[in-house]
Amino acid sequence: MNETSLNISIREVTKKYDQFYALKDVSLEIKSGEFMTLLGPSGSGKTTLLMVLAGFTNPDYGSVKFGDEEVILKPPHLRGIGMVFQNYALFPHMTVEQNVGYPQKLRGVSAAETKRSVEEALNTVKLEGLGHRGINELSGGQRQRVALARAIVFKPKILLMDEPLSALDKKLREEMQIELRQLHDTLNMTTVYVTHDQKEALTMSDRITVINHGELMQLGTPNEIYEHPNNHFIADFIGESSLLPVAIRDGKASLNGEKIVMAEKAEKDGDYLLVVRPEKAFLADKKVKGSNYFSGKLIDSIFQGESQLLVVKLNSNDDGQEVRVRVPNESVTQKALPEVGQTVSIGLKVADSYVVS
Amino acid sequence: MTIVEAEKLNQKGLQKVAANERFTFFGLTLPYLIMVTALIVIPVGWLFYLSFIGRDGSFSFENYERMMKSKAYIRIFITTFKISILTTIICAAIGYPLAYFMSQLSRKWANICMIGVLIPFWTSLLVRTYAWLVLLQKKGLLNNMAIEMGLITEPIKIVHNTTGTLIGMVHIMLPFLILPLYANMRSIDKDTLKAASSLGATPTRAFWTVFFPLSLPGLLAGLLIVFVLCLGFYVTPAILGGGRVIMAAMKISSNIELYFSWGAASALGVVLLVVTGIILFIASKLVSMDQLGNR
Amino acid sequence: MKKTIMKSAIGGLAAAGLMFSAAVSYADDTLRIVSWGGAYQKGQSLGIFQPAAKAMGITVKEDTYGGISDVKLMVKSGADKFDIFSSGAGSCASGAAEGVLEKLDYSVIDVSNHLPGMYSDYCAGADIFSVVAAYNTETYGEGNGPKTWADFYDVEKFPGTRAMRNKVDGQLETALLADGVPKEQVYEVLDSEEGIERALDKIRSIKPHIAVWWSSGAQHAQLMKDGEVDMTTGWNGRFDVAKEDGAKVAYDWQSGIMDWEGYGIPKGAKNKDLAMKYIAEMMKPEYMAEFAKYITYGPTNGKVYELGLMEESRARMMPSHPDNAKYQLTISQDWYAKWRTIAAEMYTEMMTE
Repeated sequence: MNETSLNISIREVTKKYDQFYALKDVSLEIKSGEFMTLLGPSGSGKTTLLMVLAGFTNPDYGSVKFGDEEVILKPPHLRGIGMVFQNYALFPHMTVEQNVGYPQKLRGVSAAETKRSVEEALNTVKLEGLGHRGINELSGGQRQRVALARAIVFKPKILLMDEPLSALDKKLREEMQIELRQLHDTLNMTTVYVTHDQKEALTMSDRITVINHGELMQLGTPNEIYEHPNNHFIADFIGESSLLPVAIRDGKASLNGEKIVMAEKAEKDGDYLLVVRPEKAFLADKKVKGSNYFSGKLIDSIFQGESQLLVVKLNSNDDGQEVRVRVPNESVTQKALPEVGQTVSIGLKVADSYVVS
Repeated sequence: MTIVEAEKLNQKGLQKVAANERFTFFGLTLPYLIMVTALIVIPVGWLFYLSFIGRDGSFSFENYERMMKSKAYIRIFITTFKISILTTIICAAIGYPLAYFMSQLSRKWANICMIGVLIPFWTSLLVRTYAWLVLLQKKGLLNNMAIEMGLITEPIKIVHNTTGTLIGMVHIMLPFLILPLYANMRSIDKDTLKAASSLGATPTRAFWTVFFPLSLPGLLAGLLIVFVLCLGFYVTPAILGGGRVIMAAMKISSNIELYFSWGAASALGVVLLVVTGIILFIASKLVSMDQLGNR
Repeated sequence: MKKTIMKSAIGGLAAAGLMFSAAVSYADDTLRIVSWGGAYQKGQSLGIFQPAAKAMGITVKEDTYGGISDVKLMVKSGADKFDIFSSGAGSCASGAAEGVLEKLDYSVIDVSNHLPGMYSDYCAGADIFSVVAAYNTETYGEGNGPKTWADFYDVEKFPGTRAMRNKVDGQLETALLADGVPKEQVYEVLDSEEGIERALDKIRSIKPHIAVWWSSGAQHAQLMKDGEVDMTTGWNGRFDVAKEDGAKVAYDWQSGIMDWEGYGIPKGAKNKDLAMKYIAEMMKPEYMAEFAKYITYGPTNGKVYELGLMEESRARMMPSHPDNAKYQLTISQDWYAKWRTIAAEMYTEMMTE
């Protein structure tokens, strides 16, 4: 633990609405200074968990500690957290300066010190000189920055963010993702970030907690989550992937009757799903050892700028399962792309071949 | 040499389309303009004109001179503004917490409450006023119950005076305050209160620094409607005031009877209009509507 | 602009009624008559309006109205809402002064048997009523309440709440009579602003005890019925009707101030000739006698007594019965024509103090 941040310890937090669990026995340790993202589809419970941390939602039971201090019974205004809301929640009747200075005023900070800290916070979010503007005069991105400045001006040790970038357009969102990450690195406060955008989570986080149906699905670094999803939900939710049914009998895997080789041996026999990431699959001219191959008909070929996305319908498959293959936009391969309707062979390295339940 | 500029592709046609659109928009405002002219500009102008017509039908200041001469007119105007201001303040004191409560409820429950607020509108003003008379009079329901319960020994005087008038007027005016206020409060982003709270504001502090200022436009709109409507009240003060509360509208009526001329009554209307205008002007200077509308 | 019509529920109904009737055109044998509503008009309707219409074979539609100002506004705006109105003598005189009334044709209307002064060029007197001091018999006991105006103004001898009219009419007289001015000199004293001020000062002396300033006969009757005030000025007939309804109310003729009510025709009335004949019919003693059965307002036609059309016990309840009339001051229409607006403004000033 250091001066600028606190670790968060969540234990057995449960919140039930009628017959439905918003949160079910959620336990999570967030390290001091960590950028932790709560990732999940809408209704998964990620925002509820954030609201429990902020103190706006009381769970049925469970414990939340900031550092060594139990905060679950504390009202929001005593928790000393910075928070950024989805729609910014700026005070429309105050100027930028007044918005950012609001927490300082509440804390009885002197006028001079408030002015200095507000300027500093505005500098941090690159809004220097806009202090006298009204909220109405700002663009969406600028409002986002004001909300951020307001949340960090009093140097909270914990910063909570609830889908802060969801209202911005794509380009601005991607810029802000990097900026927010840099800001976190500079200020080094513990950050809990809620999003449903897996790409955003992968870009920004130290670690990601995937939540669905009020339960923790997987906790890990972006790399771990992406490369080794625990189950088909995560494999499907994170990144693009084609999931192909695989049967494992006597430790041997087969896809539609054809034998395939796995990177790791499965622990138990049963029915699994093979995760095929489009960027890991490749068009194979000839079969080389160390890869699994599937043949199929190319049914669609989409130009996406940096890559070409091929949609292949597997041959020996009654359901007409599709596999997506991403071919990087390189001048050499571009020429060699097959035509729609052609039969193609797709390869997947054994090292990239893994199944999920 | 003259240069004839060639017409760009469809230029004229598109200009015509734009002109048509402008004309349509003007057409849409026309009924309103006609209505305002017919129902406000002309009658108010006519009122001003009539107020300068004496009993003999010629131009005269006699209607205004009469008002200067008699202290009764000044007192009636003071009563009118006093009752209107008190009604407005009491409406705000009762209506604000109620509107706040409703704005915090779910839409369903808020709508049920709203029906409760609006039910009085379904009954005629006259019926409601007489109902209050029956409730509040010396041997009315309220006094009888209080005596029965031993709360008081002598009936208290709550009608045929200012108190009764205020009770009746507040009851009638309350919805006019609540409707705009509630609509305004509903539109306040609840996250702003959460934000204030997360930033360290106690609930009380968050209310006064965030919710209250944001609800001011609705509150002011409500206050204005109630105040202006109160100024023209007739039936309720006439019945519940017991002749002890004489407001401008009542004097306007009795002047028609007394002088058999519109002029004597019009002058009162003109003075009421002008004084109201001045008060609202000063009020708008004190509270900058621009600043409040900044959201 | 709010009209006088809005004063009461009855007035509200009248407004609707007038609007409705204005939209309908009537046949030549139909007359429209307006009066004050309540117990008074009920008596008129049952005792006079409908029997007289039946006798003439015509249709008479009734409505209520807000007073002489309605007549004035109707005539000035060229509207056509009614042919005949029932009105106090004073109001009728002021309407006549404004030139909004038709002169009555006394070759058609027979007033030869009318009591002296009980008709004018524009108003054919129909009944006589009195302003009296009514008191609550529960508060003071039957016969032990204020008998004279001096009693009414004596708050020590008769403690309790009072009500007076919110208009000057019939009120200043009570003050001067209470102040000891003989009835013959009341209007002499009132014939100056100082005199009016003297009367107003007398009212001022009991103002803290005046709980309500009433605006209509129905209201002062209700005030007594509900026990809202202990005594009030008001019209004798209303109190008698209230008493029949069980109200604890009584009055003494010593406090009476006599006035009369009659019929007038607005200028330009459509059915003017028929209206004239109808008024002539209504002047017959038998209608007046019948009317007096419903409300204690005495006949203007002396024949009623001569022909013995009224039972002695009923006749004794009429303001105009010699035994009752002997105490009473008769309202001076001349004084009201001269002083009404000035006195009214001074009265309002006193009320608003």
